Amino acid sequence: MLDRRRFIITLAAGAAGLLLPKGKLASFPQQSGEAKDPPAGAPPKAGKASLAVVRGADPGLATRKAIELIGGMGAFVSRGDVVLVKPNIGWDRTMEQAATTNPFVVSALVAMALEAGAKKVIVADNPCNDARRTYVRSGIGEAAKEAGAEIPFMESRHFVKTNLGGEVLKDWLAYRGALDADKIINVPIAKHHGLGGLTLSMKNLMGVVGGARNLMHQRLSESVVDLTAFFKPALSVLDAVRILKANGPQGGSMKDVEKLDTVAASADPIAIDAFGITLFGKKPEDYPMIALGEKRGLGTGDFRGAGFVEVKLG
Amino acid sequence: MKNLRRTSQVLIFLFFVYLFIQTEYKGRNELGLPVRLFLDFDPLIALSSLMASHAVRTVFLLSLITVGLTVFLGRFFCGWVCPLGTIHSAISYFRMRTLKPNRSEGRLPALRPVKYYILVFILVAALFRWNAAGFLDPISLTIRSLAIGYNPAINKMIRAALDAGASLDIPALSPALDALHTKMTGTVLAFEQPMFQQALLIGLIFTVILGLNLIAPRFWCRYLCPLGALLGLIGWKQVAARVENNRDKCISCRKCVVACQGDATPFPPGEWASRECLVCYNCREVCPASAISIRPTARRTGEGNVDLGRRWLLASGVGALLVVPAVASGIQRKRTDPLLIRPPGALAEREFLRRCVKCGECMKVCLTNGLHPTLAQAGFEGLWTPLLVPKLGYCEYNCNLCSQVCPTGAIRSVTVEEKQKIHIGLAFVDKNRCLPYAFGRNCIVCEEHCPTPEKAIVFVEEEAVDAQGAKIILKKPVVKPELCIGCGICENKCPVLDRPAIYVTAVNESRAEENRLFLEF
Repeated sequence: MLDRRRFIITLAAGAAGLLLPKGKLASFPQQSGEAKDPPAGAPPKAGKASLAVVRGADPGLATRKAIELIGGMGAFVSRGDVVLVKPNIGWDRTMEQAATTNPFVVSALVAMALEAGAKKVIVADNPCNDARRTYVRSGIGEAAKEAGAEIPFMESRHFVKTNLGGEVLKDWLAYRGALDADKIINVPIAKHHGLGGLTLSMKNLMGVVGGARNLMHQRLSESVVDLTAFFKPALSVLDAVRILKANGPQGGSMKDVEKLDTVAASADPIAIDAFGITLFGKKPEDYPMIALGEKRGLGTGDFRGAGFVEVKLG
Repeated sequence: MKNLRRTSQVLIFLFFVYLFIQTEYKGRNELGLPVRLFLDFDPLIALSSLMASHAVRTVFLLSLITVGLTVFLGRFFCGWVCPLGTIHSAISYFRMRTLKPNRSEGRLPALRPVKYYILVFILVAALFRWNAAGFLDPISLTIRSLAIGYNPAINKMIRAALDAGASLDIPALSPALDALHTKMTGTVLAFEQPMFQQALLIGLIFTVILGLNLIAPRFWCRYLCPLGALLGLIGWKQVAARVENNRDKCISCRKCVVACQGDATPFPPGEWASRECLVCYNCREVCPASAISIRPTARRTGEGNVDLGRRWLLASGVGALLVVPAVASGIQRKRTDPLLIRPPGALAEREFLRRCVKCGECMKVCLTNGLHPTLAQAGFEGLWTPLLVPKLGYCEYNCNLCSQVCPTGAIRSVTVEEKQKIHIGLAFVDKNRCLPYAFGRNCIVCEEHCPTPEKAIVFVEEEAVDAQGAKIILKKPVVKPELCIGCGICENKCPVLDRPAIYVTAVNESRAEENRLFLEF
């Protein structure tokens, strides 16, 4: 029953999308929520994508569309859940500098989680610069508050020693709010990172732990996979409204910022990161964290398989 | 009148505490009213800074208000305004209530000239361009002692109490205590537990000064305070509120003497000392015979002012002349200390030391807790001036709070954009300790945190084999000196915790021609 209802709703939404004024780019199919034609042999998932990429000028609307395409927030958040929305609030930078998550993406997720019946939505991060500054300058503190979330600072006494059970990360200080939350919505921003890499959704989970995080860089791919395996975010939303193409993860110069007006969402963090890698013109197979994540059963790096949808909002 | 005075003391003290708590980053780049307001009205600070630096600042005009009022009202500042005076008052009040007054009635009149000798020393030092006022000026002393010694201790105690309660897991109470802790953090409590080098020493000195009240009430105000001495000299006429003891009505009960906060000898009649009077109104209040009146009059109503002893004044002047050149000429030190990383906006060292009053405001406001008082790094004349200790706190890239709070312009006011171009030092990589150089493992934390838009740390790449045998590209950090501003975040985040593999020293700081490293970039 539910499948049919969802199918009809997404079909109606897609039809509405078709009625919106068309954009310039014809390369993106103006699609409904139907999945693209899957490789032969795999049955199409009716009305529900596994990774949705939405391009649109309004980040909030793009976020809503992306979530809707992968099944709606109700598929991830249950009534009465305590939800942690975990954006990147790591750096003392403004939204335009693309070092922190777009506040409109965050507020849309908060609103959707509350609409889906969450008892409480918390937005927090353990930043690299002073938290009082990053929460304000990124715009996320205010946006999240307006959307109805609680925005605590991660105070040091609220970190508890936890066995992460990872390949390289064993006992580590983890934020109590992340451990206690029913669902974690991981919402990173796509950025270049000095260690020859990119920082996407798996690395974003460094913000729910404390301790000597500066040691993780010695085995960064293994560390971020360990974090993902432990915290198992219910939903990963990649903010690519603006991406930082060089001098990351902090940036600071506007010439390193590229505006893509894109938001991607999936329950599969490996797929999200694999997609994010392609935004920088790179190949997922060149990044060890993708293969490691796959090996640990966290998802698939082959995001263009069944269930991949790209939509452009007019 | 006495109640009015007490109300004034309490209200102004609460205002002082409020400003003190507000001298912290609260979420906006511009501070509202930091506690420097009290220093702005302080004539001793203004005079000493003016004489030492030869620079007139508009803010000094505020201290003229204090001077003007003092001419008419005498040491009203001591009796009605000074926060340290209020603290001494309060302690003395409780002391008087609990201890039996000793036979000397808590007076040591022979010590009254000492504060004038201290004042003379300060003024002669300023003449020789050593700004020594800040050590013993009551406002500067109080702010510094509270910021560096008492505030961290009080924070620690409150947090420990709240945490103890929260950890007991008592239902309803424990979560409430935890929530209270969160609520107090960043409002009344500091955002993060502050700590300072020399906290114990500076706090101890202040405690001893407060403890002097056990020997005599308001010991500091009566016998040691150089600001009190200055105000006493300025306000010796005190025409608006002269104290007169009517010898016809006086019954020699000496209640006024015991009650006098200032050791101004309201008894015997005719012996009132205007320079010692703190205008507290206790004498009039307590006199059972209504013999004491306090009112505007031009008549000399008391001859009790201490003859300052020309011999001793001369001695203190000569003493200053001998000590100051030894201390302030820098005969101990030719080269600058590598650890003397000054806050961005600090003037060149000689000018800096002529203005810095060691009030500790910059240290209190520094949001990473990176500024600490010097000990020997700036020489004795620079004792307790601020330096950055990157291991403890780095200089936040988008912040200019220290330049906002400095009362004398030792740290000149700079915008954030200007500050971002100031070099306060230079980072150096210790290849013997840096992970990729010394151990063949990647790290890159320093480069990651470097805040300059074009990174001042870049990588030299080298192919290598890691511990597991896999081929990796080692990224070895290299500092670009033309871009490095010396903020110290690299040193602060370096995982080699005990002695960081990348560290900042003061060389190449923008403000110092004599500390320049490169001929050209």
